[in-house]
Amino acid sequence: MGNVFNLEILATDHPFYSGECEELVFPTVDGLAGLLPNHEPMVTILVAGEIKFRVNGEWKYAAVSDGYIEMVDNNVTVLADSVELPEEIDRKRAEAAKMRAEERLKQKESLQEFYHTQAALNRAMNRLKVSSRHFKN
Amino acid sequence: MANMREIRNRMKSIEDIKKITNAMYLISSSKVKKAKKNLIQTQPYFDRSLETMVSILERTAENDFAYFDDRKNIPPEKRKKAFIVITADKGLCGAYNHNVIKIAEEKLENSEDTSFLVLGQIGRMYFKRKAKNNPKIHFEEDFVYTSQDPSIYRARAIAELISEKFANGDYDEVHIIYTEMTSSVDMESKVMQLLPLKRQSFLRRAEEEDLTTHPYAAFMPNAKTVMDGIVPIFLKGVIYSAMVEAFCAEQQARMSAMDNATTNAKDMLQDLSLMYNRARQAAITQEITEVVSGSQI
Repeated sequence: MGNVFNLEILATDHPFYSGECEELVFPTVDGLAGLLPNHEPMVTILVAGEIKFRVNGEWKYAAVSDGYIEMVDNNVTVLADSVELPEEIDRKRAEAAKMRAEERLKQKESLQEFYHTQAALNRAMNRLKVSSRHFKN
Repeated sequence: MANMREIRNRMKSIEDIKKITNAMYLISSSKVKKAKKNLIQTQPYFDRSLETMVSILERTAENDFAYFDDRKNIPPEKRKKAFIVITADKGLCGAYNHNVIKIAEEKLENSEDTSFLVLGQIGRMYFKRKAKNNPKIHFEEDFVYTSQDPSIYRARAIAELISEKFANGDYDEVHIIYTEMTSSVDMESKVMQLLPLKRQSFLRRAEEEDLTTHPYAAFMPNAKTVMDGIVPIFLKGVIYSAMVEAFCAEQQARMSAMDNATTNAKDMLQDLSLMYNRARQAAITQEITEVVSGSQI
């Protein structure tokens, strides 16, 4: 085995992945960021988007929503609200959520509700994006 | 010796109640299975997020951020405390609700200003009544959430509400009271401080041993953005996990309470049927004696 680190990805509703990994790329507040083995200890935020990690030279993809990442001593913990494989994503549900969110965005609501809706829209769009990138249907 | 008809009536009513408790036992045992599955899926997240928060807090210069503000300028007894209390929507689950309410009562004693955010009907009724004749207690009327089938959406709404109220100064301390499964059958009601963030409050499940200290960690892009972003997510995760634990504990409590009730009903029926048979035998014997003594005359 070459240069690897331990990766643990946990979603609120299930443990998603645990094992060795060569590289991790994730979306954070100012764009995509990557982690390689022996990175310095770090804490950062994860935003809704696509996460990918390489195991034995093979990239694996998943859709994630808000969470955070901690890197300590070559152990990376990813804690996210939800982590889904592209094939697990329910396109119909995401589309319905997107419609709902867009509908609500149109009606000007209080600022907090606006942020709420915007976040919901982001999550839905991201699911659709990840799903359509890997599954042509 | 009790009258035969009385015993028969009593047996009938016990029989009926037994049917109800047995049905409730079956329902909750199927629900507990589902809840346990959920719990097993969520527990790793819960444990890890507490551990991670402990290790992050260790490396953060406290006092710098809004969520660490422990209101030093306000004397401890004057601080506005808020409690998120997770109870059941229904009774008939043994001591489950009482244990949670008991902890809340204890916390109430040494506080001047307490707000209650209650999940579940039983707790709502209780604290609503209590708040009526006690000006020190505030009951949040608008906080209506059920404790059934926990969802991340509900947890998100609650987390946003408390972080906002904490930031505004409506609350100085936020705690959550919930029931935790200590093993597959045992449960324990406990309280955890959510805000302001304190390392000690998240150490649990024998994590007391020395955690490896990391004096330095990079925050990307910077510490303030990271902490401000992480805390609501962390709170949401903790609230969700607490709801999952509590729901599982509730179903478990109801299952064992109803199982006990059914067993008790069976025992009572056995005793009563013995009494009934004795009474019947006594009546027959008496009748025979009467007939025999009548024929001798």
